[in-house]
Amino acid sequence: MSARGFTIADRLLELAGKAHADASVSVRELRSGHVRFASSEITTAGEVANTETTLSVAFGARHASSTTNQTDAASLASLFARTADLAKIAPEDPEWLPPLGPQRYPRSPRAWDEATSALAPAGRAGIARAAIDASGALVAAGFVESHALEATLATSAGLRADHRATWARTTTTVRTPDGKGSGWAGAESTSAAEIDGGALARVAADRAERSRGATRLDPGRYTVVLEPAAVADLLSFLIDALDARAADQGRSFFSGKRVGETLFDPRVTLRSDPLSPDTPGCPWDGDGLSLRPRAWIDAGKLASLYSTRFWARRSGAAPTGTYATWHLTTTGGAADASALVSSVTRGLLVTRFWYTRWLDRKQLLVTGLTRDGVFLVENGRVGRPVQNFRFNDSPAKLLSRLVGATARTWRAPVGDGGVVRVPVLCCDDFEMSSVSDAV
Amino acid sequence: MRVEDVLGAALDAAKRAGATYADARVVRRRDQHVATREDHVVEVSDDESYGVGVRVLVVVSGETPTQAWGFAASASVDEAAAARAAERAVAVARADAGKRKRPIVLAPVARYRESWATAAAVDPFEVPIGEKAALLQGAWADARAVKGAKYMDGETRAVLEEKTFASTEGSLVSQRILRVHATYAVTAVDDAGDSVSRQHELPPMQAGWEHVARSTLRRDARRIAEDALEKLRAPHVQPGKHDLVLLPSNLWLVIHESIGHSTELDRALGYEANFAGTSFATPDQIGKLEIASPALTFYADKTTPGGLATCGFDDDGEKTQKWNLVEKGKLAAFQTTRDQAAWIGEKRSRGCSYAEDWGSIPFQRMPNVSLAPSEKDVSVDDLIAGVDDGVLVSGDGSWSIDHQRYNFQFGGQTFHAIRNGKVAGPLRDVAYQSNTIEFWHACDAIGGARHFELHGTLVDGKGEPSQSNAVSHGCPPARFRGVRILDTKAKT
Repeated sequence: MSARGFTIADRLLELAGKAHADASVSVRELRSGHVRFASSEITTAGEVANTETTLSVAFGARHASSTTNQTDAASLASLFARTADLAKIAPEDPEWLPPLGPQRYPRSPRAWDEATSALAPAGRAGIARAAIDASGALVAAGFVESHALEATLATSAGLRADHRATWARTTTTVRTPDGKGSGWAGAESTSAAEIDGGALARVAADRAERSRGATRLDPGRYTVVLEPAAVADLLSFLIDALDARAADQGRSFFSGKRVGETLFDPRVTLRSDPLSPDTPGCPWDGDGLSLRPRAWIDAGKLASLYSTRFWARRSGAAPTGTYATWHLTTTGGAADASALVSSVTRGLLVTRFWYTRWLDRKQLLVTGLTRDGVFLVENGRVGRPVQNFRFNDSPAKLLSRLVGATARTWRAPVGDGGVVRVPVLCCDDFEMSSVSDAV
Repeated sequence: MRVEDVLGAALDAAKRAGATYADARVVRRRDQHVATREDHVVEVSDDESYGVGVRVLVVVSGETPTQAWGFAASASVDEAAAARAAERAVAVARADAGKRKRPIVLAPVARYRESWATAAAVDPFEVPIGEKAALLQGAWADARAVKGAKYMDGETRAVLEEKTFASTEGSLVSQRILRVHATYAVTAVDDAGDSVSRQHELPPMQAGWEHVARSTLRRDARRIAEDALEKLRAPHVQPGKHDLVLLPSNLWLVIHESIGHSTELDRALGYEANFAGTSFATPDQIGKLEIASPALTFYADKTTPGGLATCGFDDDGEKTQKWNLVEKGKLAAFQTTRDQAAWIGEKRSRGCSYAEDWGSIPFQRMPNVSLAPSEKDVSVDDLIAGVDDGVLVSGDGSWSIDHQRYNFQFGGQTFHAIRNGKVAGPLRDVAYQSNTIEFWHACDAIGGARHFELHGTLVDGKGEPSQSNAVSHGCPPARFRGVRILDTKAKT
């Protein structure tokens, strides 16, 4: 528990009480360190500690919020005065709801690792060195980071919540000296001790070597086997689309679709559970809503769309809260990626995607490119490297044209403090729109 | 407590701890945001961040002694905290005991003791919140009069960046930079549940609130809503190769992605390989690589008034400059910082170092990169007149480019067919796809100086940890022959 966070929050709530205002205070104490490497040498390294206090003040339906990173009494008083002044002159917001009162939250297991919290610069540099050394004569670039977050939330209605989390992440891109091959690998964990820079670099180096001399393959529709980073990238757009408001307003792929309707392959389930050791996360959201385990897609059926407190009240539903932990699973999964590949007659094995962007929200259509290793799969075997592609396709179709997936799931190195676990996934008819010359 | 004393304490502590060079920045950032949804305000926020960041160069012992960078930062801005940050930065640098292939050599820089500020008539933070909200609410009042216009998302932003830089080489530079933006998007929905959005194209600018107040944002609302409805009802484009006429509100983003990012030296030499990628352009191709048709010159410029990346001095303490990146179609130069100039045999940095805040390490960031207009007075109508079968694109939509800046795909806000030299009617769901070098060689005409516009973004991401940079791109309208056009709706 962060005593400092509650001290800051209580000071601001006291000021709000004197002004007869509703208020909520979020305090995020984040300590971060990193090492960056490129051209097989460490290039920059740094450490930053910062405490961000966000105060939301409301007088009736007039509200405003402000953030400061100064924690002395004068700065907090100034934060309150500034926010209250803004709230008083803000127009009334019909969507405003007063802050929540006391809630009950279970503790999230495995969200905190003491050693990661205390990781010294030499610890991060060691992971980077291991990656550089393991890449041998190839050219390694990458990023090693570790974070320790203590988060506190308190409201004038009596809500008090706290949570602490650590996460460590390392990604590395290894390229051949001639620039004709490139491979990538990454990992993320609550614990830095679980990050093996050398092992990651060996995977990336192997892909780099095997991707050298890629040949051109015509654009078209392919069966694809997507590594976890590629799956997580596409899944983020589907997650973004699970918004009840956009659906109700006719602006989303889920517009006109009912909860309980089968939209995806019946083997697919997407859940959020910040209390699971597999996806440890904060058990409350920014409003302080308790985040219980929840299914979004259950055996291929749409199970929930997320709603804010306002939208839920308007539509007569219960608010879901906003989650940052996601777990995509399938039933009947393959033993491993090799078993999945062995079922493919002709297709592509994709390491990861890059620069994926929305094309059309109603169709849940996105565009992006493959990167750092695309291999032709023929008769169940991974074969020759092929050039990168631009794709135009939909993560919804990815889950409805499912061929299979691994039973095992991996935590993708998304790097934003959230947790996303996904399998290696195989789907049919994925549209590669054009060839990219990039290596 | 004076900021100079805080910076002095950091530099003294760094030198005492063994740094051969150090610089420090005290930075205050303030970001005010007002957001509306139709007729009501849903967010009023005013965020501030303040602290001091210290960067040091330290000789570290390895197989052979070499220099390494270290960085640490403190949200407490006092002499003791700044000194502790400096000592921590030295400790961070010493954790790197590796041999360096490219030694760190800083290009020389003059000693500056100056200040610089945005030329702004109206401080955007002094403009009442109610006035900003009323601007957006008024726009909705007009937009909703157009049948089918169902939703509007509006926002205003004001960003202040106040920084004081000092280095062990004697510079002390204070800068105050203001950036503003206001926009809204109207969503039209038809009876069948189909929907499209149309965003206003007022660009963000380094300026005071006068940039928004003098704009046509408020009075354009009805037209923007009509555009949305027209787009909703428009026919689909016929996919295939067509000519394109791109207005500056669309073309700026292509310049940003294909020319701006490809001429970043750190990217070209592999320093961004793990994240942002590398580049098709490399230093050995300077003067040789034909990136564009000979009529095109692209220049970098951190001095242009209103440019989002414009300032007096970069975060290495170098004075900002203007130079050609692509001259008459050929690669001419790269964007550099002090520690990069020597890598390509240059004696002076191009002044492209930037850190987004006090807690971020300065590194090479994009200056404003623009396409020089034609010396002839060519208008959009002149460009259109030369097209038998093409598409006119305005505003920026979806964008995506590969990690070496070859293959790209862009959308837009509005699309109109061009038939026999005239605008023939609206289209929808258009994207164009090309390869950087093919695309810029397919450009056969550009507009003149009278039609040059500055557009840009407040948020361009690069680096690890990721940092945001605000940057502008100026260009005239331009015409391209035989570009692949997609109907994105046909992918269902």
